[in-house]
Amino acid sequence: MSTTLVPTPVDNAATRPQTVGVTRAVKKGNIVVRWLTSTDHKIIGHLYMITSLVYFLIGGVMALLIRAQLFAPGLNVLATKEQYNQMFTMHGTIMLLLVATPLFAGLANELVPLQIGSPDVAFPRLNMLSFWLYFFGALIAVGGFFTPAGSASFGWFAYTPLSSQTFSPGIGANMWVLGLAMGGFGTILGAVNFITTIITMRAPGMTMFRMSIFTWNILVTSILVILVFPILAAALLALAADRLFHAHVYDAETGGAILWQHLFWFFGHPEVYILALPFFGVVSEIIPVFSRKPIFGYKTLVYATIAIGALSMTVWAHHMYVTGSVLLPFFALLTMLIAVPTGVKIFNWIGTVWRGSVTFEVPMMWALGFVFNFVFGGLTGIILASPPLDFHTSDSYFIVAHFHYVVVGALVFGLFGAIYFWWPKWTGKMLNDRLGQMHFWLMFIGFHTTFLIQHWLGVIGMPRRYATYLPDDGFTWMNQLSSVGSLIMAISLLPWILNIYLTARYAPKVTVDDPWGTSRSLEWATSCPPPRHNFTSIPRIRSESPAFDVNHPELAPAGYALAGASSVPTLGAGKKG
Amino acid sequence: MKGNIVLLTVLGLFFLVASAVYTVWNVLATGTWEIVGTVGILLSAILAGFIAFFLNAVNRSQGGILLPEDRPEADIDDADPELGHFSPWSWWPLVLGFAIGLAFLGLAVGVWIAIIGIPLVVIALVGWTYEYYRGNFGH
Repeated sequence: MSTTLVPTPVDNAATRPQTVGVTRAVKKGNIVVRWLTSTDHKIIGHLYMITSLVYFLIGGVMALLIRAQLFAPGLNVLATKEQYNQMFTMHGTIMLLLVATPLFAGLANELVPLQIGSPDVAFPRLNMLSFWLYFFGALIAVGGFFTPAGSASFGWFAYTPLSSQTFSPGIGANMWVLGLAMGGFGTILGAVNFITTIITMRAPGMTMFRMSIFTWNILVTSILVILVFPILAAALLALAADRLFHAHVYDAETGGAILWQHLFWFFGHPEVYILALPFFGVVSEIIPVFSRKPIFGYKTLVYATIAIGALSMTVWAHHMYVTGSVLLPFFALLTMLIAVPTGVKIFNWIGTVWRGSVTFEVPMMWALGFVFNFVFGGLTGIILASPPLDFHTSDSYFIVAHFHYVVVGALVFGLFGAIYFWWPKWTGKMLNDRLGQMHFWLMFIGFHTTFLIQHWLGVIGMPRRYATYLPDDGFTWMNQLSSVGSLIMAISLLPWILNIYLTARYAPKVTVDDPWGTSRSLEWATSCPPPRHNFTSIPRIRSESPAFDVNHPELAPAGYALAGASSVPTLGAGKKG
Repeated sequence: MKGNIVLLTVLGLFFLVASAVYTVWNVLATGTWEIVGTVGILLSAILAGFIAFFLNAVNRSQGGILLPEDRPEADIDDADPELGHFSPWSWWPLVLGFAIGLAFLGLAVGVWIAIIGIPLVVIALVGWTYEYYRGNFGH
């Protein structure tokens, strides 16, 4: 193998920043091998993002099938009710565990080493193994569709005894259990990697309280991952032992049903914050840039993140109010307490926009849409934290509306904000703003059309997971409105895909470090895309916005310019007025 | 390092208190001991405390000095220029991931696949471990 290690001829350093140092020969035919064997956190980040976006589209098609089935009473869009069960099970599984969780790892890979000024993550090969565990685990989990009986059909939280061998026989369900367990190990290894990287590989001067809010959120998210993903793995492997080797862990007569719910939700509630916290970080990065102000209340945001992380470990059983065997006041109290740090975050985001000179580029639109939608989802969350209200709305479409306002309204909006914001950093080209605005408004309208009405649908009594309903239930027009909305959401992705294509084909290369002009965190102090080990030189770090300080030295903190010339970066091309 | 130690200690203490409150409240309210939550939060406390303990031990073994990344006035040149070894590229993560995939798939579908997968896991682990001890890197 060593024979292939030849220095790349540096023929045109200006257009080929990747060829700094010793790499293999850059040939078109080598690209596939380079990606498959990569230990570069940026390429691994791309692999994570691409894989999870593909699953996002697959899960989206499943959502469309579900909405088509519910368009009118008595339809048979899907041949059997069992297939409908498989659809909503896999829609939930894919969106939560194969899209949103890997997006945490993907975004962290793309950004954390750049934001703390390190050349890579602490364990590059382990990083790639994490991706492959997710990749093959995901293939196994969805591979159940190719078995004769189809995939798992017991809902994404797989309550026992429904998910036992007796009530859900079949290889597809086994594959679901073991595939997710395997993917979970990938997530754990990834989190260990990020914690180690953030603790040990920060650049000099990058103290903990100068890290970007996004990196802080990744740190807290990673701690949550190592706290709860082992529990998911243990619960799933015990379920596999029950199914395959006739163990008796989840036998109903010894309390197995409630045991599974406790174990699953002890993982499942922190999981919601594992999904959400990285995107809280994303909007905390986007909003200051387009408000042209530092983030308002940096330290309170950090403490709010830590508080959310800590409290999220103690609220799991609010998913289990209707079992009648949990300590209702404890969980109601702590669940409502989580609203306090979350409210602090909303306050800080609004405080950042307040009296800023705001411009509405596409990333800012997504970030503002995130805040708007997240307030809706958060408020219904407080309603559901109250046991008497939860008893009436549990397992109805009110719940469906609530968590879609959080996971679509907040997470997906945050995701697209991140994509539009960091696209130049990842690919070296700016996405088109006009198509992006079309994407945003179509998605925004489609989203509220789909999910707002589902609150009332739940209130008048439509249960979740039912394959159909009767004409005299009175659910018809609300379901039709919701289905039309889901179609608008699907259409909204077309301008985005067109945008990506047109940008890749026609857009000019970004030649500056900071194409937005007022970016703050350290990744904007290196080229677009960055070289193999990220920085040719790192600017002096004197605040939480080192890239802003270097591009706008007149506004940098006192003493910034006094330092010696040795570490003043060679950012000639990156200067922007 | 100190900030991280404080962060994990605070988390550990919070989980410890939460576990105690949860247990006592449960016993007072229902007369039973809800074992999953009690043990779950207690183990969370132990994990957070363990990491804090480890970081503290590392910090002490370095003499408790403030590292460049924790000093607010540090310059980029203040760090050790030798950042360590970074694997430039490697086939082994793909091989190991695929082999583990076969092992898990074998459990779900048929044991014979696992019988192929598990030796591959061993081969991949050995290859991974000795990747930088042989060939070009032999000594």
